[in-house]
Amino acid sequence: MKKHSQLRRPQPWLVQFLDLYRLGLSNWRWTWRAAIIIDTLTPLVGMLALALFGQAFGPTTLAYIMTGNVVLALMFGNSRKVCAHMSFLRSMGGLDYYATLPIRKTALIASISAAFFTLSLPSVLITIATGSLLLGVPLQPSPWLLIVIPACALPLAGIGAYIAVLVRDADTAGAYNLLFTLALTGLGPVIVPPDRVIPILNMLSYLSPARYAASALRGALLGPVTGQLAIDIAVLVAFTLVVTALVARRMDWRASE
Amino acid sequence: MPPAYRIRNLIKIYPGRRESANSGIDLEVAQGEIFGILGSNGAGKSTLVRQMVSLLRPTSGTIELLGRDTQHDTLQVPLHVGYLPQDGRALVNLTVSEAIYATAHLRGFSRNDARADRDTLLDMWEIGDIGDKTGRVLSGGFRRLMQLAVAMAGSPPVLVLDEPTNELDPQRRKQVWRNLREYSETRGTTVIFITHDALEAEKALQRVGIMRAGRFEVIGKPADLKRTQFNQLRLEISFAPDQPPVLPDNLKHIELEPGRWLVVVPRDRVDELLRSITLANMVDFKLYSATLEDLFLQIAEQTPESA
Repeated sequence: MKKHSQLRRPQPWLVQFLDLYRLGLSNWRWTWRAAIIIDTLTPLVGMLALALFGQAFGPTTLAYIMTGNVVLALMFGNSRKVCAHMSFLRSMGGLDYYATLPIRKTALIASISAAFFTLSLPSVLITIATGSLLLGVPLQPSPWLLIVIPACALPLAGIGAYIAVLVRDADTAGAYNLLFTLALTGLGPVIVPPDRVIPILNMLSYLSPARYAASALRGALLGPVTGQLAIDIAVLVAFTLVVTALVARRMDWRASE
Repeated sequence: MPPAYRIRNLIKIYPGRRESANSGIDLEVAQGEIFGILGSNGAGKSTLVRQMVSLLRPTSGTIELLGRDTQHDTLQVPLHVGYLPQDGRALVNLTVSEAIYATAHLRGFSRNDARADRDTLLDMWEIGDIGDKTGRVLSGGFRRLMQLAVAMAGSPPVLVLDEPTNELDPQRRKQVWRNLREYSETRGTTVIFITHDALEAEKALQRVGIMRAGRFEVIGKPADLKRTQFNQLRLEISFAPDQPPVLPDNLKHIELEPGRWLVVVPRDRVDELLRSITLANMVDFKLYSATLEDLFLQIAEQTPESA
């Protein structure tokens, strides 16, 4: 066994992140199949149900329905899971364990979000493939997808984490998160085109990351790639950074920080 | 060489409460020392150690770890202290091996060293055969051993353990105290622990502090404390609950449970006591000199006024 030495250094941020990411994935090794099936079925069923009514309105509406459901899976699925996991960590003393290790809390937050994002990828790909096949939505995927897909997932994962650190009780945190999800889903052109959204909601949706996520996904997945995509990505990244900073500020952590 | 911990006038008042959970604590624990903290429930022990591991912010006072103020050097505690919480349900989804390895690596060990550390700790706690099991499926006792191994992973120079023998059977308790003593002796690790297991812990610790109402009532070596506090023997008697013995004047008892008393008796009154209670009528009896548990019980039984 190695003897302890007084000269100790923390691991670099990236090493911390990768270790914590592996721990995050290890948490789900026995339940990932069920989680993926549920995560896939939810947007799939939602997409097909909406498509029954939406096909009468033409291909644009169908494209919104497909990308909107992918956004739902990416943003809100992750938000719910991150919220539940952070609440679990708080109630089980998991945050105390991490806080007594020489790690950065940003590495912990990022690793939790990344682990859940990884688990949501199969459902995203299946929803896109099925949507394209059954709804006849033509795909023109661009390399920007590699940035857009994580950029869509992270802002709401941060919101889920923020709700979990603000609200002590896990059930209450879950309820607030659901409320928030419903509000952002209904706000603006996420699942339906803007001409079918009430003008005031359309205006308010400029404050919602879901609007930018849906727009970015349509641009990167269906084309064409325009300057709007850069704006969407910039807003999503900015939102992610702000929310991550808020979570890091409010999270139970070492008393000296 | 600075002490492992130097605590000065530590006060902790939780928000919304008037009384302090810790009131003016001063404590020094030398490097390599094994220091035990005893006290009744609510005495402020866990509040103290949670401040020592930087999970709670003191209301006032200072805590130095290895010569550095833990409030100013935010990485001082996580780099040098392994902490075992009182109620450790974290990591229940990881296997025992994963939890130890990941902790050692996150505490700065290389991957090879972390693997070696994991194997050593699995051997030390004799939990190698449950290495691939998750905390979720383990009994409370095995989960406690896993958490002990996790606290020691990465070989931190200071261990702060909140009730390390919780949920363990007597055999495993002995193993814990034996391992901690050997670990500290061979590696110079400072071990600070809270326990209610005073009888067994006495064999491992070098100094002890007994807390009551948020402060240390006594701190010292068990032998010194017992010498100064006691010129007395202990008589533990068991009897039919409806037939309590009559004690000589001025001798008081502590009721350990219905039908079982502990009588603290000055040495010069032992004969008088034994004559008065007719030992043959007792279900069981035991006469012995003071233990650390007696010292703890005596202090715990004191009212604030009599302290």
